[in-house]
Amino acid sequence: MSSKTQDRLIDIIIYMFLAILAFIMLVPLLNVVSTSLSHGTAVDRGEIYIFPIEPTLASWSYIFKENRMWRSLFITISTTFIGVVNSLFLTSLTAYPLAKKEFKIGKVMMVTIVFTMIFRAPMIPYFLTLRSLGLYDSIFVLILPHAISAYNLIIMRTFFKQLPDELEEAAKIEGCGYFQMLFRIVIPNSKAVLATLGLFYAVAQWNQFLHPILFIKSSKMFPLQLLLRQMVDGTEEIDMVDIVMTTMVYNEQTVKAAAVIFAMLPIMMVYPFIQRYFVKGAMLGSVKG
Amino acid sequence: MAETVISCNKKSINELLKKHTVINNIRKYPALYIMVLPGLVFFILFKYVPILGSVIAFEDYNIFKGIFESELVGLKHFIRFFNYQDFWRVVKNTVIIGSYKLLFGFPAPIILAVLINEVKNKYFKKTVQTIFYVPHFFSWVIIAGLTFTFLSLDGMVNQIIEYFGAEPVLFMQQKEMFRPLVVLTHLWRNTGWGTIVLMAALSSIDPQVYESAKIDGASRIRTIFSVTIPLLMPTVTVLFLLNLGRFLDLGFEHVYNLLTPMTYSVGDIIDTYVYRIGIIDGQYSFSTAIGMFQSIIGFIMVICANKLAKKYTDAGGLW
Repeated sequence: MSSKTQDRLIDIIIYMFLAILAFIMLVPLLNVVSTSLSHGTAVDRGEIYIFPIEPTLASWSYIFKENRMWRSLFITISTTFIGVVNSLFLTSLTAYPLAKKEFKIGKVMMVTIVFTMIFRAPMIPYFLTLRSLGLYDSIFVLILPHAISAYNLIIMRTFFKQLPDELEEAAKIEGCGYFQMLFRIVIPNSKAVLATLGLFYAVAQWNQFLHPILFIKSSKMFPLQLLLRQMVDGTEEIDMVDIVMTTMVYNEQTVKAAAVIFAMLPIMMVYPFIQRYFVKGAMLGSVKG
Repeated sequence: MAETVISCNKKSINELLKKHTVINNIRKYPALYIMVLPGLVFFILFKYVPILGSVIAFEDYNIFKGIFESELVGLKHFIRFFNYQDFWRVVKNTVIIGSYKLLFGFPAPIILAVLINEVKNKYFKKTVQTIFYVPHFFSWVIIAGLTFTFLSLDGMVNQIIEYFGAEPVLFMQQKEMFRPLVVLTHLWRNTGWGTIVLMAALSSIDPQVYESAKIDGASRIRTIFSVTIPLLMPTVTVLFLLNLGRFLDLGFEHVYNLLTPMTYSVGDIIDTYVYRIGIIDGQYSFSTAIGMFQSIIGFIMVICANKLAKKYTDAGGLW
């Protein structure tokens, strides 16, 4: 076999392998989407593969009629939004002095921050501390503990450090203070890193589960992930009378499937537009701080 | 104050400066210190106070008495968990699941990255990468939800099993299935994402190296094994050591969401165990002792891994 045909054969094998792998990775997703769109009896008979059988929107309309779904969605969206704004503000505010040579305690602070990345406080003292701060069953527990991620802070500091000094020189001569320099010059020139870190914060906020399950007890403050957990867990049954009336158009399985998809839809919708920022961010992280 | 400083001679000013560099620094650049203050408060309140709060591991912590009034009992809780069978069971589970994750989860992105790197067609490359990355953005609750549906009795996998005439399997309730499931979900969520750093390393390889390999008549496979993989090794080594350091961090959310009471015996890890006996049962001191044990071991492992990374690679460690 000549090396050229051999190369072509290898190409075909690699393309095939990757295509099949990508398809396999999509199968669970397609299967659950189809389950949510299928007739309950078809699901019970186990006929769902990757296409809906006897398509119906019954499970989705059940989900859409659930007030708590919308309430949780609202909680998640609002805490994510406020959280991201808060995080970006505090992270840049902290990262800026750390990027300055004239800031004498910068090195010591970096060490104390890196230390928190490698020595994690045990769960119980963490729980007790936050509870004594009045964060138990408080909406703020979904926002405040995520204010600064050490990892993102280091990325932002590295970015600020790489900004050319000349950028700030002119402002300095005009007598601008550090606050003005940060907000008028540095931040407007850091849109790329702010976008990337903002997205990192947003995904972490959206997906957070540990804090809700540790601290949120009133169901009216349940974020989407916690509500979903409760539904998937099977600790609650959906209204059986309702099911009998609608002759199994939807059932527990289809409703759960719809709830799972409901919780991932917002991320799926924005994902294509923001993918490159994520990839950029993941590479930024590989650069040492 | 300024006048007194001026009136001093030069030598004593220098001494004063040396003694109070930080105070001087604060005086000179107060804005920087004001800026850093909220962040400092954050790290103290949310990271350091809980670490200090770990002293309850040496007490019989009583909620009503608080940290300072509770009775000190020394190493009682540590001795207790060392003699406790449940503890060794969860340690064993943690180590086994951690090893599986490292064994399968570590090489997977490397293989995938090398394969993607061979793809010349831009659109194909972009499409598969998009698909491989996306599960990384799903929470573990969502992934558990997908898994439960996908593997349920009348779910798709069991349909295929029955089609081939075998008995359906209750995957989520079966002990032998739990650990493979943790590994599979881990692979599904993180393999694609893990390729990003490796792809970045691959793209920094000089194209001339590939050119000369071609001129030397190296075949595709030969090039992969003699050029691509050796040049990827420094990055791989650093990643391996960092992964090794994070060995005990299995992720509470991951395991907790897949766990059912039927799979506790094989799937209960330190994190889920601490959650159950600490948060649910309220054995604060005992579970803090276990948590502290885990934090210290984890800390030592990360430090060692980082030392090794610095010693054996040019790229260096995490810091």
